[in-house]
Amino acid sequence: MTHTTDDWRGWVRHHLPKLVLSPSFAVTLFFVYGFILYTGLLSLTSSRMMPNFNLIGFENYSKLWQTLNWQVALNNLAIFGTLYIVICGLLGMFLAILLDQKIRGEGFLRPIYLYPMALSFIVTGTAWKWFLNPGLGLEKTMHEWGWTSFKFDWLINSDMAIYTVVIAAVWQSSGFVMAMFLAGLRGIDSEQVKAAQLDGASAVQTYWRIIIPQLRPVFLSAFVVLAHMAIKSYDLVVALTGGGPGNATEVPATFMYSYTFTRNQMGVGAASAMIMLMTIAAIIVPYLYAETREQRHD
Amino acid sequence: MASLEIRNVCKSYGSVDVLKSINIAINHGDFLVLVGPSGCGKSTLLSMIAGLDEITSGELVIDGEVVNDKHPSQRDIAMVFQSYALYPNMSVEKNIAFGLEMRGVPKAERDKKVESVSQMLQIGPLLKRKPAQLSGGQRQRVAMGRALVREPKIFLFDEPLSNLDAKLRVDMRTEIKKLHQRLGATIVYVTHDQIEAMTLATRIAIMKAGILQQLGTPQEVYDTPNNVFVASFMGSPSMNLIPATVVAHQNSVAARLTSPQGNELILPLPQPERYQTWIDKPVILGIRPEAITDMSSAEPNNPWVFPADCQVDVTEPTGADVYVLTTLGGKEIVARMRSNCGAVVGQKTPFAFNMAKAVLFDPQTENRI
Repeated sequence: MTHTTDDWRGWVRHHLPKLVLSPSFAVTLFFVYGFILYTGLLSLTSSRMMPNFNLIGFENYSKLWQTLNWQVALNNLAIFGTLYIVICGLLGMFLAILLDQKIRGEGFLRPIYLYPMALSFIVTGTAWKWFLNPGLGLEKTMHEWGWTSFKFDWLINSDMAIYTVVIAAVWQSSGFVMAMFLAGLRGIDSEQVKAAQLDGASAVQTYWRIIIPQLRPVFLSAFVVLAHMAIKSYDLVVALTGGGPGNATEVPATFMYSYTFTRNQMGVGAASAMIMLMTIAAIIVPYLYAETREQRHD
Repeated sequence: MASLEIRNVCKSYGSVDVLKSINIAINHGDFLVLVGPSGCGKSTLLSMIAGLDEITSGELVIDGEVVNDKHPSQRDIAMVFQSYALYPNMSVEKNIAFGLEMRGVPKAERDKKVESVSQMLQIGPLLKRKPAQLSGGQRQRVAMGRALVREPKIFLFDEPLSNLDAKLRVDMRTEIKKLHQRLGATIVYVTHDQIEAMTLATRIAIMKAGILQQLGTPQEVYDTPNNVFVASFMGSPSMNLIPATVVAHQNSVAARLTSPQGNELILPLPQPERYQTWIDKPVILGIRPEAITDMSSAEPNNPWVFPADCQVDVTEPTGADVYVLTTLGGKEIVARMRSNCGAVVGQKTPFAFNMAKAVLFDPQTENRI
């Protein structure tokens, strides 16, 4: 009798982790990887409003690359992605360095920079839409205060609208990048800073020559996080500019949504989704590879 | 090479006094070891000498010049840190040369100096490596190289050996001593290890709770400790501290001890004039384990060696010697005897007390009488 109980317990102990993990495993397998495959398949079909399975090869991809809208979307992504990653990274690092000077009230200041991250991009987009709206926000306030020549109409200027997306996105994410850099800075042995002081290095030299080079892994993590957020950014653009004025702030994600679900070009939409997936994979896969290889080295 | 003077230096954080009026002076070429238990303020004092911590009051004088307000880089000192504090992103070579580079020394001269230092410390083959690729002992050498290459007035060492294993620690200790003898440099060295302090120092400063307990040569500190704390902190096993009473004895003065059986043990004291006022008063008798031996190890011509039979409680052989434990005055005391002295646990054996080495402490103030 006890023998069979022990057997049962052993079986449970052995299989419980697998049992607990299997539902989420199945769900992920189906909804993430299953739908990736499904989208990949759709991108090779002539699907328009509804999915169908007439395979037409890579025709959707060649159509996609000839679409002017897609060119605009990629161009915008290049501008937005580059500025977003560079400004967020530098601003986040700068804020982290300032906060790391053992200042009073750090516990109060840190969350102030971090809280925008807690907002949804929809909220950020809406708030900045009001703030940047010339007839409603900053410009109107300045006019009411008497600075009547003040002009800030980027939101409705089709050449500049993409930069308002950059501003809002930087506002939202730089606090998070700051937290990453702050953690990195806290991990550096304070005796190194003292040694640099004795060696005669100025504060700038200490950061430039000794501390910042040691933050390389943080730069890499920040880049990967920001890059994939830039590529998949959708909600912020929708809330802030709706892709406009015209198609001035079209980005690949909004392009994908409109072609798949509103313009009855599901095949082209699926093709654009696959291109986005491949772009993100091109960034994430080498990173994951480097990370796992590093762990094996340790 | 320089002299260092610490005049009435105090340090407080808010209302907490970490260091209380420290006075230490050393000449150039001295090896000063600051030693004491954790939290005694020795590392703070070192940081203040380096200029990494501010001095609350008092003066710090290097080579006759007050340097209180000088930036660490202008005091012409170099420091070896407990964690070594090597710059992990730079090669060994760059680590050593960094201080010179910051001081604007030309590249050719830098290379020459790095070369000669790496030869002295035998780290030539490691110059191109990063600190992460070095062992603990190699990192230690690089950290010393970084200090040596600048040829500073004073070297500061902050517990440099505490991260090494026991064997390597002894080797590096010898090497630091050799280095000091070769360079004749002024060194301030912080440790909590009293053996390191004894072996390295030309001057020892023993600290406790922010107060300097005693400053002297290793031998002075060992033979004539200022108080009970210094007596028990320096030396291993530590000095026996036995409650006793001073009594008049045969026109002289002696210490009276009681054994657990109630027997009295009278041990005459040298320098009787010193203890005249203490007759019939309780004292603490301090005597080092090596001053209590078996009869054949005792110095035969020393008139201050007195034999006494005591009960053996425990024996602890160390190979070369055996520590024999007995009880006197209600305290367990340790005697260091030859390994073949024949002490048997539970039996009486003759102990030879070398009273020339004995010191007395006031039980109230714990200071030496």
